[in-house]
Amino acid sequence: MTRPPRIPNLGGASAFILHRPHPTVQAITRQLSAIGLVTQDCWPELPPEALAADFVFFDADLGFDEQFPWKPGEAPMPLVALIGSEAPGRIEWALSHKADAQLLKPVGNAGVYSALLIARQSFEARKHLASEIASLRQRVAERQTIVRAVAALSKGTDDGRAYAQLRSLAMSWQISVEDAARRIVAMTDEEGGDDQSHRA
Amino acid sequence: MKRRIEIGILYSRSGSYQLISDACRLGAMRAIADVNADRRYGIELVPVERDPQSNADRYATLCEDIFKTSSARHVVGCVTSWSRKETIPVLEKAGGMLWYACPYEGFEANEHVVYMHACPNQHLVPLMAHVVPRFGANGFLLGSNYIWGWEMNRVARDLIADAGGKVLGERYLRIGETDVSRLIAEIRATRPNFILNNLIGTSSYAFLAAYRDLAGEDQAFSSDACPVISCNLTEGELPAIGESGKGHLSVGPYFAPRPAAFASSFEASAYASVQVIADVLARDPDAGPAEFSKAFAERRFSTRLGPIAIDAHSQHATLPVIIGRIADGFFEVVSREDEVSPDPYLSRYDPAKTFGRPRLRVVS
Repeated sequence: MTRPPRIPNLGGASAFILHRPHPTVQAITRQLSAIGLVTQDCWPELPPEALAADFVFFDADLGFDEQFPWKPGEAPMPLVALIGSEAPGRIEWALSHKADAQLLKPVGNAGVYSALLIARQSFEARKHLASEIASLRQRVAERQTIVRAVAALSKGTDDGRAYAQLRSLAMSWQISVEDAARRIVAMTDEEGGDDQSHRA
Repeated sequence: MKRRIEIGILYSRSGSYQLISDACRLGAMRAIADVNADRRYGIELVPVERDPQSNADRYATLCEDIFKTSSARHVVGCVTSWSRKETIPVLEKAGGMLWYACPYEGFEANEHVVYMHACPNQHLVPLMAHVVPRFGANGFLLGSNYIWGWEMNRVARDLIADAGGKVLGERYLRIGETDVSRLIAEIRATRPNFILNNLIGTSSYAFLAAYRDLAGEDQAFSSDACPVISCNLTEGELPAIGESGKGHLSVGPYFAPRPAAFASSFEASAYASVQVIADVLARDPDAGPAEFSKAFAERRFSTRLGPIAIDAHSQHATLPVIIGRIADGFFEVVSREDEVSPDPYLSRYDPAKTFGRPRLRVVS
C-alpha cells in the first residue's frame, strides 16, 4: 500500500479569490500568503489564467454561473465556497458548483489552511471516483462487443474456449479484453461478416 | 519626560518547565531594564506581570486580566503551545499581540502572535538533515503528551519516511511523568539510529539520565552511536541534566558563546522580542497592529540575536539555524546557517534537497 504524502507541499501554489473587494478578501489573502501560496483576487469574473489555478475561493452570496469559465460542477481544481448568508438557495447554488470545502464569513484569523487541505483531498477523491466510474461505464458498454467477439471466435462451438482465447489475445496485444473484442469484431466485419475463421 | 508604556509579561514562576519559563522571563526583564536605561529609546517600559504557575487554564484569564487592568497591548509570554493557543481568543478580542519566544511545532500564523523563536524548517528539518547521513534514518520518537510532541513527531514520521528510514517506536509521557523504564526497554529492544526527544522538563531529564545508564551497559547507545536529538534543549536546562546530556544534539537560533551575552536562546529570543517592541514604539508610541505589520514589511531590526527580519505575512522571524552538541555545561557549535527564512507550514519543504537523491524503493 502506498502511504499518502503527509507534509502538504503548498509552496508556490496559486489561489484565485472570486469575491468583491472586501475585508474578507484581505483576511484570506493574509492566511494564504502566510502558508506560502500566491494569490489573486478578482470580481466579477475569473480571468483566463484562473484555469491554471491550484485553488479557487468563490463567493456563495453574490456568485452566479457566468462567472466561471466552466460548467457548474466541472471545475478543474478544488473549490472553496465563501458562505455568508446561509439562505438555502445560495447553499444549493454553491453545491451545484460542487464546492469541495467551505469557509464561513466573516473570515477571521484561521480556517484557510484546513479548508485547503480538505478541499484538495475531497477534490482528488471525487476525480479519482469519476475516472473509475467512467472506465467502468465504458467497459459495461462493451458487453455486446464481447459477446460478438466470442461468437466470432467460437463459430458456434465452445464458448468457454473462445472466451479464453479472447483473453489470451488481449494479453498478447497488451490491451484490455474490451479493446481486444472491438478489434476482433472490426476484423470480422472487414471480412464481410462471413464465418471465415480468424487466426491470430 | 519619557512616555511610560505598559507591557505584559506572562511567564510561570513555578512548575515542571520552570527553567525555560525563567529563562524567557529573565530575557524580557533584562531587555526592559536595558531599554529604560537607554536614552535613545525615549520611552519607559513598565512590566505588568502575571504568573500562571504552569497551569494551562490560567494563561487566558491572566492575559485577559493584563488587558483589562492595564493599558498594555503587547504581552511577552507563554512557553507551551497549549498555553499559546489558549491565549489567542483573548488576544483577538482585545486586539493585543503576543510575543512568543519559544520554538514551536509550526502550522500556525495568527496575526496576533509574533513568533520569535524557531519553527520546523528552522529546527527539525535541518536537524534531521544533519543526523540522517551521519547516524542513519531509523528513529525512535518521544514526546510529552500534548501538542508539541504530537505535531513534532507527526512531521518527524514524514521526514523519516522521506529519508528512507523507519519509525521504530513512538511514545508519550504525561507532562511531569518521570517513570521512563518502559521507554528505555523499548529503545534497547528496537535499536534505533537516533532518538528524537520532545519530552519537556522533568520527564526529559529523567529520560536522559536513564539513557546514560543504558549507554553504560551497551555502547550502541552512546551519544556518538545513537544520539538523543532535541529541538528545544538549551543551556538553561544543562544544570538539571548534568553529565547525562554529554554528546547529544540540539538545534536553535542561538547557543551561548563563552563568555555569553545570554544564557540560552530562550533568554535571547525574549530579549529580542522586547527590543523589537521598543524599537517600533520609540518611533511611534501609539503604534497599533497595522503599524507593527508595516514595520515588519519595511524594516529589519537590530537585536542581540543579530539583525532580525520578521516576515510580514506569517509574523515569524528569520533566524540563524545552529546545531550544537552538548559539551561540559555548554554547546559546541557543529554547524551554523545564517538568516533562514521561516516556512511555518513547510510549504517549501523539498525531500530531495533535505536528504539528497531519493532512494529507490521496491514497489509492491
